[in-house]
Amino acid sequence: MSDITLSRRSLLLTTSALLASTAMPTLLLAEEAKPGGRLIVAADSEPKNLNPAIVASNGVFFIASKVIEPLAEASFDDENGLSPRLATSWEGSPDGLSVTFKLREGVTWHDGKPFTSADVAFSALNIWKPLQNLGRVVFKDLEDVETPDDHTAIFKFSTPTPFQLIRNALPPLTSVVPKHLYEGTDIAANPANSAPVGTGPYKFAEHKAGEYYRLEKNANYWDKDKPYLDEIIYRVLPDRAAAAGALEAEEIQLAAFSAVPLADLDRISKVPGIVVVSKGYEALTYQLVVEINHRRKELADLKVRQAIAHAIDKEFVVKTIFLGYAKPSTGPVPQNDPQFYTDDVPTYPFDVAKANALLDEAGYPKAADGKRFSLKLLPAPYFNETRQFGDYLRQALAAVGIDAELVNNDAAAHIKAVYTDHAFDIAVGPPVYRGDPAISTTILVQSGTPDGVPFSNQGGYSNPELDAVISKAAETIDESARTELYRTFQKLVATDLPLINVAEWGFITVARDSVKNVSNNPRWAVSNWSDTWLEP
Amino acid sequence: MPVLRRFLGTAEGIAGGAILLAIAITAVLASVLFPGDPLAIVAEPMLQPFQHQDAILGTDRLGRDVLAELVHGARTSLLVGLAAAFAAIAVGATVGTIAGFAGGLVDEALMRVTEAFQTVPGFLLALALVSVVGPSLPVVVTAIAASAWTQPARIARAEVLSIRERDYVASARAIGMHPAEIAFREVLPNALPPVLTLASVIVANAILIEAALSFLGLGDPNIVTWGGMIAEGRVVLRGAPYLSIFPGLALVATVLGVYLTGEGVVEALASGRSR
Amino acid sequence: MNRALRLVRRRLITAIPVIGLVIIGAFLLLEAAPGDAVDAYILSLGGADANMVAELRASWGLDQSPWARLLAYLAALARGDLGWSVSFSRPILDIILERLPNTLLLMSASTALSFMLGSALGIFAGARPGSLRDRLLSVGSLALYAIPGFWLALVLVIFFSINLRWLPLSGIETIASGKHGFDRALDIGRHLVLPVASLGIIYLALYLRMMRAGMAEVWRQDFIRAAQAKGLSRQRIVLRHVARNALLPVVTMLGLQSAAMLGGSVVIESVFAVPGLGRLASEAVASRDTPLLLGIVLVSALVVIAINLMVDIAYALLDPRVGAAEAS
Repeated sequence: MSDITLSRRSLLLTTSALLASTAMPTLLLAEEAKPGGRLIVAADSEPKNLNPAIVASNGVFFIASKVIEPLAEASFDDENGLSPRLATSWEGSPDGLSVTFKLREGVTWHDGKPFTSADVAFSALNIWKPLQNLGRVVFKDLEDVETPDDHTAIFKFSTPTPFQLIRNALPPLTSVVPKHLYEGTDIAANPANSAPVGTGPYKFAEHKAGEYYRLEKNANYWDKDKPYLDEIIYRVLPDRAAAAGALEAEEIQLAAFSAVPLADLDRISKVPGIVVVSKGYEALTYQLVVEINHRRKELADLKVRQAIAHAIDKEFVVKTIFLGYAKPSTGPVPQNDPQFYTDDVPTYPFDVAKANALLDEAGYPKAADGKRFSLKLLPAPYFNETRQFGDYLRQALAAVGIDAELVNNDAAAHIKAVYTDHAFDIAVGPPVYRGDPAISTTILVQSGTPDGVPFSNQGGYSNPELDAVISKAAETIDESARTELYRTFQKLVATDLPLINVAEWGFITVARDSVKNVSNNPRWAVSNWSDTWLEP
Repeated sequence: MPVLRRFLGTAEGIAGGAILLAIAITAVLASVLFPGDPLAIVAEPMLQPFQHQDAILGTDRLGRDVLAELVHGARTSLLVGLAAAFAAIAVGATVGTIAGFAGGLVDEALMRVTEAFQTVPGFLLALALVSVVGPSLPVVVTAIAASAWTQPARIARAEVLSIRERDYVASARAIGMHPAEIAFREVLPNALPPVLTLASVIVANAILIEAALSFLGLGDPNIVTWGGMIAEGRVVLRGAPYLSIFPGLALVATVLGVYLTGEGVVEALASGRSR
Repeated sequence: MNRALRLVRRRLITAIPVIGLVIIGAFLLLEAAPGDAVDAYILSLGGADANMVAELRASWGLDQSPWARLLAYLAALARGDLGWSVSFSRPILDIILERLPNTLLLMSASTALSFMLGSALGIFAGARPGSLRDRLLSVGSLALYAIPGFWLALVLVIFFSINLRWLPLSGIETIASGKHGFDRALDIGRHLVLPVASLGIIYLALYLRMMRAGMAEVWRQDFIRAAQAKGLSRQRIVLRHVARNALLPVVTMLGLQSAAMLGGSVVIESVFAVPGLGRLASEAVASRDTPLLLGIVLVSALVVIAINLMVDIAYALLDPRVGAAEAS
């Protein structure tokens, strides 16, 4: 017990020290920053397609965001949490039918060609809308992009599209790729997907499969004097226990996305020269969710779902599985999204007696062996934490007389079993929250998604009232009305429990203390690192 | 039983037998010593060993009693080892006997299949099989057996080839015994001893392969296995080494016990034959 | 020599059905797997809608029947084309040729280590069967053989790479070092020390034990008694008669173990982040990249067959009787 409080305190100390350093005036930082050096970071996966305009996922952004830039990036201090990148300003029309972007001048692609509004129009119409996994939702009604001059792009929508959604989608969805390399080619098979050309602070240099990716400084970057680093190297370390050792042996200098397992953080934070940072993932929140198959008659009963919610000790999950690096959830929107979050929802405190009473009431009494009924439990295998929560959930359910059998699938088999075959009773999933409910979280409860769509509602749940709120919000232009609809959405989900939100977490970065300007924006790991520098 | 007496006359036999007996007793008594689910969360997580009465060997990441897990894990490891070895030897001996006895095309075909299995790295086969079918105890056992049956098959075949021309086989033929009956009643029992000397290696390998599969996250999550314990403990290998050391030691002791027993048996048989 | 050639021919002819069986078996195995390459790819995207899923299946040819795909694969294979990897977006042959040298290096170094050290220690132990050093070595090697390989790897890493910092932690060479020639070879050598040790030490025990057991067997035979009666020196008997005769089964084991070592390299390659064939195979299974896995299985089967062939030839040269039996 004392171990845990200690580790939490030491965590608070490191983060507050970091806050102090990032809060220092930028002038002072600019003076301190020393250019040069090679930053080596750990990469646990090895994406082959590095085009973030097609594949808007964190694994791709981690590398590609340094090469290819979005129109705007998430920010701790700027208005609406956005700081300009390739766009310098953005404005939505009151009717929700158009959005005007002013683009940055004097930007060139890594191959020397100038960046213009034609690139934005091409990316939006030919890639984001038809090819991108998320853009297919947000830009589905995008009809045209007008380019009155080289530095203005006006997005035209056929039906009103909330400007709030567009704004929230700017950092992850609007990576701009060069029209001159993609036009007239098979975009999905373009060689630039694996050797990207962008406008970012670093140029793609090489990928040695199984070993590393190498990025080089872009000397002509539009933000003068940046970037500071000469090179960034992503060292492929597939073994999850490898990053901690590599940091200690100084073979790498930074490990993001909790590449160092949470359980090892307490120890590694005491190693001289290593800092543990929990900041910098505020816009990359992951949610720990119990997905429920409502086709099972027991689980179709609200009382049973409530009982399961009461059987889960969220504090234990946060404290033991996440070692304090998470928050208990109240509903489908995480607390660190102040725009939409509400705590005005029904809650389900940990209460075994109440869970047992609810199950008795629902008509599932304990048999002689103490069991009420059996369930198949499929924890997603992608994270240590989802697997561990699976182990915990089996025990938590056993305490209320539900016999859960764990099924351990690999990733591809898990996706097939849950989202196509529906061969599960309950599953544990880690959906990512993307800053707007329209492009995350709602898809997990909305009905009407065809079979086989991963990370969607495949539990057979259908609630017309909830569906109506979700579709209304998708077309509501007025921001406060839209926000209010999503608050209603949270209330409905927490009341009817189509799924159970257990906890929400961001990742942890562990770095050598010589790496400066770490975690200074809410999507830091997947931002462009133009101001990151190394103390010689 | 002169063989048993000779077995206990060897140092390896005594040591191996003692280790295995202790582990087997532990495995049998697991549910008496630690009733209930050994995976139940019983205490604070990460208690250090030798400091708490309730959890003498400490607790793991979730607060499960390491000693209870260890004791129940003995059952799994022995079960996996024995079941896989039994399956591998049964399949191998049958295939080998048929191939050796039938000869001709059947032999040729069966030996090609055996070679095909031998050509694919055994662990790779087990890994692919388990990740494709999904890890549960029977699948793990099948996968291990699938990668281990070839050696017994080859040895059985070689033995059968040398036995089938002997006098008693010829006389069995002469009295008109059915070939299958000759193969399995006259030839196989005599071909079996050399195959059985492989048993210890197969059991030991099976235990180690199970551990390696669990290490790669391909264990049955509903059952405690030592390999799975090591895999979990390895994340905190440096902060809490005991979590991987205890199951590691148990694994080494068991495998060593199996090997030593095998040695003892081989020695006892050899000295019996030489007499 | 003629015998050896006939042996080679016979082996090559029987290898063809073996490889055919292996390929069809591997294809069926992955076909039976829940989830396909598209499922695995979508996971890396973090989600996709139904149209996108269907479009991907169509463009990767996964909407065709398994038989059509197997036939297409075999037809391409007959033309010497290993196909295209959807998960790497590259030709499979290129990927495999890039990884194969690393695995071969790891395997041959480990085999050399375990074989030479193992049989040397085996001779040392077997020179005096039943002596104290024999007992110690044989129980010690059993204990070594009982250690899980991944566990040994982790311990070696902590000790030599993190605590002592003598050796690099992982990888096959210093990344983007720009080293050439001898410097690069030295660098690769340093990176290989720990993986080779983890893989080799365990098999060392195997060779030691085979050698020792073989020698114990030979000691009992009449010609040794005759040699002893002739008054030959003990050293001469041990090396020229006992060890030499006991070496044959150990050499056979060398061939049999090549497949096992290729399997063992899966774990070791992933612990040490060595970009080799073993790790590639587990990646191919995870991403359900059937043609890639088939390519790997094919190439590793060829490697195993080639090694066994070499062992057979060595065996035939060492012991003329075997070749005669095979050829007749």
